[in-house]
Amino acid sequence: MSTKLTKALEFANYRVTLNNQQEALRAKAEMLLTYSINGGTFSIDRTLISFCKLLIDTEEKEAVLLDVYNNPILVELENFYQEISSRYFEAVNEYYIEYEKLKKARKVHKVLDINDPNQQE
Amino acid sequence: MTQTSKSNSRGVLMFAHNNEEIDYFKLAFVNALLIQSHLQLSADQITVVTDSNTLNYATEILGDKIPQAIGNIIINEKDIAFKHSNQRIYKDTSHHSTTLPFYNKNRGDAYDLSPYDETLLIDADYLILSDALSLCWDHNNDIMMNCDYYDVMASRRVKPQKKLNPLGISMYWATVVYFKKTPYAKTLFDIVKHVREKRTYYSNLYQWTGNLYRNDYSFSIAAHMVGGFKNKPIPQLPVKLYKTFDYDDIFTVDDDLSILFWLEKLQSPGDFILTRWKGVDVHIMNKWALNRISDKLLSVLDE
Repeated sequence: MSTKLTKALEFANYRVTLNNQQEALRAKAEMLLTYSINGGTFSIDRTLISFCKLLIDTEEKEAVLLDVYNNPILVELENFYQEISSRYFEAVNEYYIEYEKLKKARKVHKVLDINDPNQQE
Repeated sequence: MTQTSKSNSRGVLMFAHNNEEIDYFKLAFVNALLIQSHLQLSADQITVVTDSNTLNYATEILGDKIPQAIGNIIINEKDIAFKHSNQRIYKDTSHHSTTLPFYNKNRGDAYDLSPYDETLLIDADYLILSDALSLCWDHNNDIMMNCDYYDVMASRRVKPQKKLNPLGISMYWATVVYFKKTPYAKTLFDIVKHVREKRTYYSNLYQWTGNLYRNDYSFSIAAHMVGGFKNKPIPQLPVKLYKTFDYDDIFTVDDDLSILFWLEKLQSPGDFILTRWKGVDVHIMNKWALNRISDKLLSVLDE
């Protein structure tokens, strides 16, 4: 096989591996951005956080929110807001750190965080 | 026989009946330790339904470690005729396949067997690598199970089985089922058992393919019936169901419990890429691969 083709195949493998690891990170972040309270489940996103902040700013203490199943769930706003904000930043910060690490990885073994097989005896 | 009586209101239930090659009890044992570690449950909150032959073998292999992982063991002897009639192909990658008994008959009895008010019924090979299933506890929904699943190799376009047959009802996956002891959940399980007993009739009515009895089918039919013959009447779990297939393999598991999978390329059988999987629960279809890393998993969990 020519060197060019070998390099192209190596690069293709690298891209597939990289894309897959990025998807794995997304899966984890999505899981961390799911939160259950009072029998309902919420997907934490910027819209939910902003909406809760808006209600708190209008001095609401409690509100009924629709969860991911479209069921109405009564929540105490201040605690709920604190919880989802904290979870949001924890999840996206972790996602960011891992994502940046992947971005800098230029070889398959670095993407996978394993020892370089060429360096092993 | 129940070795311990009902004492907890929440817990995990697994079924483990070994066949000639797959040590399901060991998988359940490893998973029980993962459950304790990630879902913050005690051994008493973990129940395994097994048969005396499987338990005798497990006692030889695992000895007195079993009670540390699994607080409740329920003996439910195999129906031998069913065992011999329900056989499926098990693959250890594309290179090796064997036909073995697939003993899954008593999963429909989970409602009656579970000692808990809230139960997470999971496959022994569904590895708990996160606390995501804690989202289910005290939920408004009486029953939850997934009708969608996701491949760990996102770019692999395996056509998912979404229906029992191309014109049929939506498929539910009995891999993970959350249920509460309520009349609604009981009705669903009663129908699951009814479908199991009248298998020929329901396979004709709902036109599932093949002769293999799968709980996915009976749970799908029960969901369809209990939900008033609507499409997808049972809410999905708040967690996505990720899986690897039986043509995939496992390279290793690291000290941080991340798993390095060999995932087969769809267009190039026998050709794999590596993927590191960490912190998200995953269903592993290659049982041999899981058995091969079970000792490493145990040593990591022991530390």
